[in-house]
Amino acid sequence: MRFLPLILRNLGRNKLRTGLTGAAIGLAVLLVCFFLTMPAGIDVFLSQIASNVRISVHHKGGLVYQMPFAYVNKIRAVPGVVAADGVVWFGGAYEEAGHVTFPSFAVEPEHVGAVWPDYHIDPAALERFRRFRDGAIVGRQTMEKYGWKIGQEVSLHSTIWPVTLTFRIVGEIPNARSPLFWFQREYLAQAIHEHGWVLSIVGIVWVRIADPALVDGVMNRLDAMFRNSPAETAAETEKSFFASYFGSLQGFVAIILVVTGLVALCVLCIAANTASMAVRERAREIAVLRAIGFGRRLIFGTLVAESMVLATVAGGTGALLTYAFTAAVKLAAGGWSTQLGPLSGFLVSPAIVGQGLLLAVVVGLVSGLAPAYGAAHRPVASVLREVF
Amino acid sequence: MSGLPLSYAVRNVRARLRRTALTIGVIALAVIATSVFLALITSLKRTLVASGSPDNLIVLRKGSDNDGSSMLSYEAYQVLRYLDGIAAQPDGTPLVSAEKVMQPFARTRAGGRENILLRGVDPIALAVHDEVHIVEGRMFRPSAGEIVVGRGVAGRYADADVGADMFIGKRTWHVVGIFESGGTSFESEIWGDLRDIARDANTFPYSGVRMKLAPGTDRQALIDRIDRDPRYALQATPEVDYYAEQAKSAGTLYILLVILAIPVGVAAGFGAANTMFAAVQSRTVEIGTLRALGFSRGTILRSFVLESLVIALVGFAAGAIGTLFVAFLLRLALGGIAFGAQTFTINVVTLRVSPRDLLAALGFATAIGLVGGLLPAWRAAHLRPVEALRKA
Repeated sequence: MRFLPLILRNLGRNKLRTGLTGAAIGLAVLLVCFFLTMPAGIDVFLSQIASNVRISVHHKGGLVYQMPFAYVNKIRAVPGVVAADGVVWFGGAYEEAGHVTFPSFAVEPEHVGAVWPDYHIDPAALERFRRFRDGAIVGRQTMEKYGWKIGQEVSLHSTIWPVTLTFRIVGEIPNARSPLFWFQREYLAQAIHEHGWVLSIVGIVWVRIADPALVDGVMNRLDAMFRNSPAETAAETEKSFFASYFGSLQGFVAIILVVTGLVALCVLCIAANTASMAVRERAREIAVLRAIGFGRRLIFGTLVAESMVLATVAGGTGALLTYAFTAAVKLAAGGWSTQLGPLSGFLVSPAIVGQGLLLAVVVGLVSGLAPAYGAAHRPVASVLREVF
Repeated sequence: MSGLPLSYAVRNVRARLRRTALTIGVIALAVIATSVFLALITSLKRTLVASGSPDNLIVLRKGSDNDGSSMLSYEAYQVLRYLDGIAAQPDGTPLVSAEKVMQPFARTRAGGRENILLRGVDPIALAVHDEVHIVEGRMFRPSAGEIVVGRGVAGRYADADVGADMFIGKRTWHVVGIFESGGTSFESEIWGDLRDIARDANTFPYSGVRMKLAPGTDRQALIDRIDRDPRYALQATPEVDYYAEQAKSAGTLYILLVILAIPVGVAAGFGAANTMFAAVQSRTVEIGTLRALGFSRGTILRSFVLESLVIALVGFAAGAIGTLFVAFLLRLALGGIAFGAQTFTINVVTLRVSPRDLLAALGFATAIGLVGGLLPAWRAAHLRPVEALRKA
C-alpha cells in the first residue's frame, strides 16, 4: 500500500493515454455485461415462471393441432393430478396496436387458482373472474405497458377467430414479467356460436401435479392414455416447454457472445500495448530504481498493480454503467417481443456485474504480466548503458 | 532532399516484426468483430425487408395479421381466381396461388424442437412467387407426400436433405428438392402439395391466396374490390406491404442490433487505432532524426501514413479472411441464426457476408490506419527536431 501513490502518479503521467485505455476497457466491460444479461434472462425467466409440478399437455405434432376438449376431464381423472386447465389461443390484437403484442388465451376460470397458485392472484380477483362472463385477468407487464387499470374495459380483435370481444379487467397477475391475458372460455364459445361454430377443442392443457416425484409417472401415463387416438399428446414439464420455445434464440445468443469475445480480445491487446509502452518509456528510471536497491519483485509488483488498478477502476465503472445502459435500451426497445422473448428482459444481476469485474481484473493482470516481467529482469547495467 | 524510398517503410515493418504483428492482429480482430455484426444486420434485413414481389397481392381473412392465422373457403378462392386484372400464363391459367399454411413441430439438427412454416401450394406457386427457384433436386409431385425445403431449413433441421424422409408434425414427408429465394423469408419455409397439407391440417382448405397482377392493372381498385365483396370477409394487401408489416414486429431485434453495433465498432476501432497510435508514437526519436537529417515534414508524413495504411490493409485482409471463416463456422455450428416470426414459426437467417459488409470494413480499417498513423506522426513531425530527439 505504501507504493499506491507511486502507482497513481505513474498512471497520471500520460493522462490522455491512461484515459483512452481506461475508456476502452470500461466500454468493453459494459458491452460484455450487457450481452451477458441476454442468456441470463432466459434462466431468470424459467426459474420465475416455471413450476416444477406443472406440466403442459399438447398435441404431439405441434401447437397448431388442437385436441378434443373432452381430454381435459380425462386428464383430471388421472391419479396424481391436482387440477387441469385447458386453454385456447385467441391471438388478440389490442386496437391501438393493430397486431398481436401480448399472448391472450381463453381459459377455464374455475381452475386457474388451483393450477397456478404460484402466481399469487388475489382470491377476490379470481372470484370476480369466475362470476363475470367478460372478465379478464392480465399480467402486470401488459397492464403497465398500456396503463390499464382494474375495472377498465378493453377490446381485442382476434387474429384467429372472426370476432372482436370487449373485456372487463377484473384482476392482475402480480408479476412484472408476465404479459399474459386470460379470459373465460365460455365467452369465446358464445361469441363464435353466433357464427355457427362450436368450441369443442383445446390447445394446451396445463396440469398441476401433487408432488414433484409423481411428475414423470403422470406424464407417461397421460401420453399412454391418448396413444393411437386421433390426437396423440406430448406431455412435458413447464420448464422444458418454455425452454424449447426459447431454444431457437440460442444461435442469436451465440453470435453475440462470439462478437463479445472478439471485443474483449481487442481490449486485452490495447491494455497490453499500453502497459508495454509505459514500461518502455520508463526503462531508464526502472534501471535506476534497481541500481539503488529496489528489488525485482517490488518493481514487478508495482508495474502489474498499475495495469490492474487502471483495468479494475475502468472495468468497475463500465460494469456499474450497465445498469444505466440496459435501462436506456429497454426504453428504446420496449416491452414483450415475440422475437426476443425473455432475452429482452435485460436484468442486470450482481453475478453479471461480478463477471464484468472479473474480466477487468483478468485483463489488467494478463496485460501487465509480460511487460512487468521483462522490465524487472532486464540487466540493469546494459539498460543504463543503452540509454545514457 | 528527395523523398524517402518505399523500401524504408517496408524495412521498418520488418525491423519491428512483433509490434507490427500485434498491430495487424488487433486491426484484424476489429475487422472481424465489426463485419460479423454488419453481416448479421444485413442478413436480417434481407430476410425481413426484401421478401415479397411488388406486383403481388396477398388476400387473407379480414382481421388476420398473417397467413398462419387466416382461413379462406374454396368458394372465395374461385371468385378471386377470375377477377379482372390478374396476370395469366400463356395457356390462360390465372397466376393465382391458393395456399395453406401450417406451423407444426420439426426437429432441429441440434436436437431441439421448433415450429416450422409448412406451406401447401399448387405448382402454379413457382410462377406467382417468381423469386423462388429450385436449386437442388426437383419440385414435388402432387399428392405423393413429397416436399421441397428452403435453404435455411436445409441447414437447420434434421433430415432436411434431398432424398431423406423428414418427420414434421404428424407424419413423414419425402424431401425431393431445395429452393432459394435470394435470402428472403421463404427460405425458412417448407413447401408441399396443397391437398396433402390441407388434409394434415384438417381445417379450412386454404389460409390465403397470392395473386400476380397483370401489367397496367389499377392495384388500388382491385384491392378495394376484394375488400368490399360482402360475401366473404376478405382483405387484400400488396405482398411487399405485408412483409414490411411482418418486419416491423422484428424491429425490436433490428434496433437492438444496431444499438449494439455502434459501441462494438467504437470499442474495436478505438482499440486498433490506439495500438497503431502507440506504434508510431514510440518512433518520435526516429522522426526527429529524419528531420535532423533534412527530410521534409511532408516526406516523413507521407512515408509514415503509407506504412500505417499498408499495415491497416494487411490487417483488413487478415480480418476479411477471418470473417469468412468465422461466418462459416457459425453457419456450421448453428445451422442459421433463428428468431421467432409473427407466425410463431422460426425465421432462419443465413449469415452471409456480403461484399458491401466487407467494403464497409475496408473503410473502417483505412480510417483506423489514417487516424492511428497520421496523428502521432504529425505531432512528432511538428516538434522541433531537437525536442523530438530529446524524447528518448
